[in-house]
Amino acid sequence: MITVSLNEIYSETYKALRSVNIEWSLAKDCANKAKWLAQHGQNFLEQILKTAVLYQKHDITISINENTNEKPVASALVALLLVEYVSANRITWEGYIDSTKFLLAAMGIIAEEQHIYLILENEKKELVAFTKNKTIYVNSNLDTNVKSYCFLKKYDFIKKKNIKFTSLKKNKDIIRLNDKCWDQLKSMAFKTYVPESETSKSGAGY
Amino acid sequence: MDFHTSQNKLDYNHPLRPPSEVMKLDRLGSFHQTRLSFARRLIDDLKYQKCKIEIDQWNIDFNGIGNAIIKIALKNETLSLVIFCHSISDEERTDRVIAEKWDMTFSLLRGIPNKHELNKLSKNLKIQESGRHNSKQLTLSRANKSQRIFEKVLTDLSVGKQPSEKLINDVGYLIRTTAVYGNGKFGIGDFSNKDQSIFLEKPFQAEMLTVYLVRYFSIELINFLAKQKGGKNSVTLSKHLTKHLGVGNATGLGMAPFLVNHQELIHQWIYNREKALSRVFSIKRLDKKTQNKIIHYINQAFKYSLQWKVDDKLQSKRIKELNLDLKKILQNEKLTKLLNFHYPIKRFFDFFKNDITLETQEILNSIFIEPFPKLIKDLINNMGAEEKKSVLIGYTVNDILEIIKDNFNWAIKIDTTKPEENYCFWYTSQTKLEPRLGIAKKDAGIEKQLPFDIAHQIKKAVNILNKLPSNMTAAEVMINQPELRNIIKRIIINKSMPYSEIQNNLIGKDMKPIDILRCKLSFFGASKFDPKSNLWTRITLFQGAPLPNELWKTNVNDWLFPNLSAV
Repeated sequence: MITVSLNEIYSETYKALRSVNIEWSLAKDCANKAKWLAQHGQNFLEQILKTAVLYQKHDITISINENTNEKPVASALVALLLVEYVSANRITWEGYIDSTKFLLAAMGIIAEEQHIYLILENEKKELVAFTKNKTIYVNSNLDTNVKSYCFLKKYDFIKKKNIKFTSLKKNKDIIRLNDKCWDQLKSMAFKTYVPESETSKSGAGY
Repeated sequence: MDFHTSQNKLDYNHPLRPPSEVMKLDRLGSFHQTRLSFARRLIDDLKYQKCKIEIDQWNIDFNGIGNAIIKIALKNETLSLVIFCHSISDEERTDRVIAEKWDMTFSLLRGIPNKHELNKLSKNLKIQESGRHNSKQLTLSRANKSQRIFEKVLTDLSVGKQPSEKLINDVGYLIRTTAVYGNGKFGIGDFSNKDQSIFLEKPFQAEMLTVYLVRYFSIELINFLAKQKGGKNSVTLSKHLTKHLGVGNATGLGMAPFLVNHQELIHQWIYNREKALSRVFSIKRLDKKTQNKIIHYINQAFKYSLQWKVDDKLQSKRIKELNLDLKKILQNEKLTKLLNFHYPIKRFFDFFKNDITLETQEILNSIFIEPFPKLIKDLINNMGAEEKKSVLIGYTVNDILEIIKDNFNWAIKIDTTKPEENYCFWYTSQTKLEPRLGIAKKDAGIEKQLPFDIAHQIKKAVNILNKLPSNMTAAEVMINQPELRNIIKRIIINKSMPYSEIQNNLIGKDMKPIDILRCKLSFFGASKFDPKSNLWTRITLFQGAPLPNELWKTNVNDWLFPNLSAV
């Protein structure tokens, strides 16, 4: 295990995703979600590495309209865009998503920053998570790290039945990650750097 | 936020200067230290904290090699600066950030490290970026002795002689840092995890404290070494000269992208500076004491300009013009009369404005703010900003186009098809992972460029947005065209934070990165800008600042534009 800072998680993540030609803003959104997940004690690293591989193989999509079970939406990349879209257009979005974990991060971020009440349900219309008062509450009985068909919408009233929900709280100051996965992310990030040139030397304090 | 409305109890509120005037690189590149600068704020905060700074451990030998710990006792916490002094040859000593050996390496830590931690630090600090650091560390830094001055001062002190004032003034520091890293870099602690430490939560507070302590250490070190070398014959550096020593810093392009990447923060800094100016321009009358203070500070600035020596031809010319402008102002027979008018600062500025350079205008602005610490106290303590990760919802295509029309006319005017507007590109260098600037037609790596072509992105956005339904939400545009997300986010931020965007083409041939550096460094509180090219500059921090044993004094923070005769 290796201890890393949130700043490192952010910068290494977006650079790693840039190395496989993922759009700047999507890479940065993903980095912010990764940071959020780390702060909230959630795993994120393996999913990012997996996303990079699947993106290159075209096995995931960033289209919210053209997704299938075989080619689901890449939540690590577009979840924040998706929650903003659902919030702004007041629509219910439904579709296949590769993992709800990054969608939860996006819901958590928009709840904290813009106080928007959102609800996420699975294909059985079971409540997966909802946001309220800057906090996200997650159904403790469901696995959020799997591919699923889901519904995302704003809500005014919520029926929770007798399900146990856990609020995700910022509780991590020290982040420990699998060192092999971290090295892999860093080596991807390294590909975005440019070798030293005479011009670059002149900006380094010559 | 309505940034035009009043912000204080003054009976008149002078309008803020518009971003179109302030956010130009030539003006940003003329900024000087003000009371809002972080070095100044640090001194205020240390005084408020009744801070005690003392040497906790000193294991340095007569050659200046070893380690030391400086303890900083604040109201609710203890910090420490851990220092390692190394032996390096003159050839290995370089200003460049890409150096791999330094005379000294430092880290500011929470608490005092134990033996085990110190041992670990001894292995990792000396290799800086290549080491693995821990979350108790708040900063990571290194410095070299000034080859122009360190040995000379040491020799003089060891034989019982004070060094010449000219020597001290010409250089201004004994040691020069080449980087001060903070906020999670290379594994050190994130600033978001500072356990609600009021002292540390302010922007760049940990970095500024590090530099302030490095200055203290440099003085302790030279006095210690002089005694080791000269024994009874030696003397310590006089208080007069000690106070005129700051810490040097060599700053390259590494810090330039910060102002592009942190829109909310740059807005807050400039907005507060403009608000401070607006407040002092709104003062109706000045008493005699304050009038005299202003004249005193102009005098100080005049003397400072005489002692500000650089090799760079352009900056030398600017300093010469500044000197002439200030002389002209001081000799103007209407000077006292102007300060007696209603709204005297505004009248004063308007009277001279058209006949003085930007450099002089901005030095005057620093002077105008100086006598009014109480009037701007809220601004000094509010230089941070929350950076949002999501894009504010509620905007339509029409809204975005309106903001572009109102706030981004500067970008629209640029002919982005011209080769000179596509002259350079920003990238991250493999060496030390620092941002650098390449020439588009000469250097490799343009495919890895950073997205700092704001004007180009604006034009592209306008072309696309004009073809979309005007009531389509910005969120829908972004989800369909993620390549517009970066610029749409910037545009929406700029709507409520109009000082968040530098209004020049950052990849154009005419762009001078030194202006970006100078703007940021002025907010740090730097003085004696000494450009070595358009890409890097030397500066001095904390020159004239109080020493740790003076922090309790009244008016301890009155050290704008120090010059040797006045210290």
